[in-house]
Amino acid sequence: MVTASDTESIQVEVVPGRYLMPATAQKLLNEIYGNGGIVRMTIHGPNLPRSVPYGPGKGAPIAENRDLLIEIGGQAFELFVKVGRVRLELESEKFLPGLKAACERALPNISCSIKKGKFFHTRPTISDYAKFGKVEDERILGLIDPKAKKERMAILSEVGVTIEDKEER
Amino acid sequence: MAYTPQFYPGSTSVGINRRKHMSGNLEKLRDIPEADVVAIMGHRAPGADYSSTHPPLKEMGEPDCPIRQIVAPTAGAAAGDRVRYSQWTDSMYFAPSIPYWRSYWGAINCKGCDPGTLSGRQIIEARERDIEAYTKAQYDSEMTDVALCSMRGCTVHGHSLRLEENGMQFDMLARTEMGKDGNVYGVKDQVGIPLDKKVNLGKPMSEAEAKKRTTIFRVDGVQMCGTVGARKYDEAVEALHHMWELRSKWGYRPE
Repeated sequence: MVTASDTESIQVEVVPGRYLMPATAQKLLNEIYGNGGIVRMTIHGPNLPRSVPYGPGKGAPIAENRDLLIEIGGQAFELFVKVGRVRLELESEKFLPGLKAACERALPNISCSIKKGKFFHTRPTISDYAKFGKVEDERILGLIDPKAKKERMAILSEVGVTIEDKEER
Repeated sequence: MAYTPQFYPGSTSVGINRRKHMSGNLEKLRDIPEADVVAIMGHRAPGADYSSTHPPLKEMGEPDCPIRQIVAPTAGAAAGDRVRYSQWTDSMYFAPSIPYWRSYWGAINCKGCDPGTLSGRQIIEARERDIEAYTKAQYDSEMTDVALCSMRGCTVHGHSLRLEENGMQFDMLARTEMGKDGNVYGVKDQVGIPLDKKVNLGKPMSEAEAKKRTTIFRVDGVQMCGTVGARKYDEAVEALHHMWELRSKWGYRPE
């Protein structure tokens, strides 16, 4: 009989019932980070432009969307999207109950669905090839917004945070 | 006996609300000053002159036409105003008016307007002083909840997106904001240009009140079929089936 291994990595999507304010997003992401076992993580949601992108008011600044700094695991970075869902790859199934508890602690008043599935692609797409050429580290796949002109990604590591793209679109 | 149009079938709360919207028999919930509505529309500065596309009709010397003699022009048409628009985005999370019902309201109750419905937004075009009056009527009435509906001339998406934590409809350009006093404030005009002063739009509806006043059928609210488990569907569905049948079999021309 074949049984699922509990040591294989799993992919999970956390979808809160509401869009999160930066402070709540920070709380949620820190709780998830504190749970541990994260191989990679991406946040997803509608874009927050720094200025009006089109129409008669094109170019007018949107002060509300600027400097949305959040701090995760001691590293600060700027939010470019309204946090609507968080996709994660966890080292193994054993981190899932902790993740559920972390979401309940961070979002006591907001319903939250946690789905297990496949959320990161495994083979490079044409967009990936156009941006990176041959992909050396396959963990990067699925972390990039394919519509962004450049990759927009914050890499959290032990030594510091790198924001690859600060250019406005 | 005088004919009273029924407008919309059904006995559910949504059916009743849809009838109210179409008939124009709406409750007035707030009174937003006209100057503030003009500022949010953003077409002219409050108090400024109306721009025109032709001289007033009285000066133009119109041709002898029986229709023109029967139909009195609207104030905007008589003055020769430019055609302007107001566009609304209403959340699918139980906003009182959904796009089609703003259009029905406009087409039935507003003279000289051109309503248009899109998937998540609704636009009405009319002569400038007419559209200002129509927009104020929409703002003041129960068609609008200031948290779930907002005027968006561009970057309109929000209808089908989840709400923000504070119950506001998501707006990429942050045209409205929830104040600390619980009131919603308009801070930008409908195309995202900041206003000189914030406009107090009043308190939003509670979730229960929005569900009571909504015109959207939802499986987690009021269903189009009426009461779940009832032996007979609500009249709204029966009327819809009837129309579908006539339309499919005879192209709406039963002869």
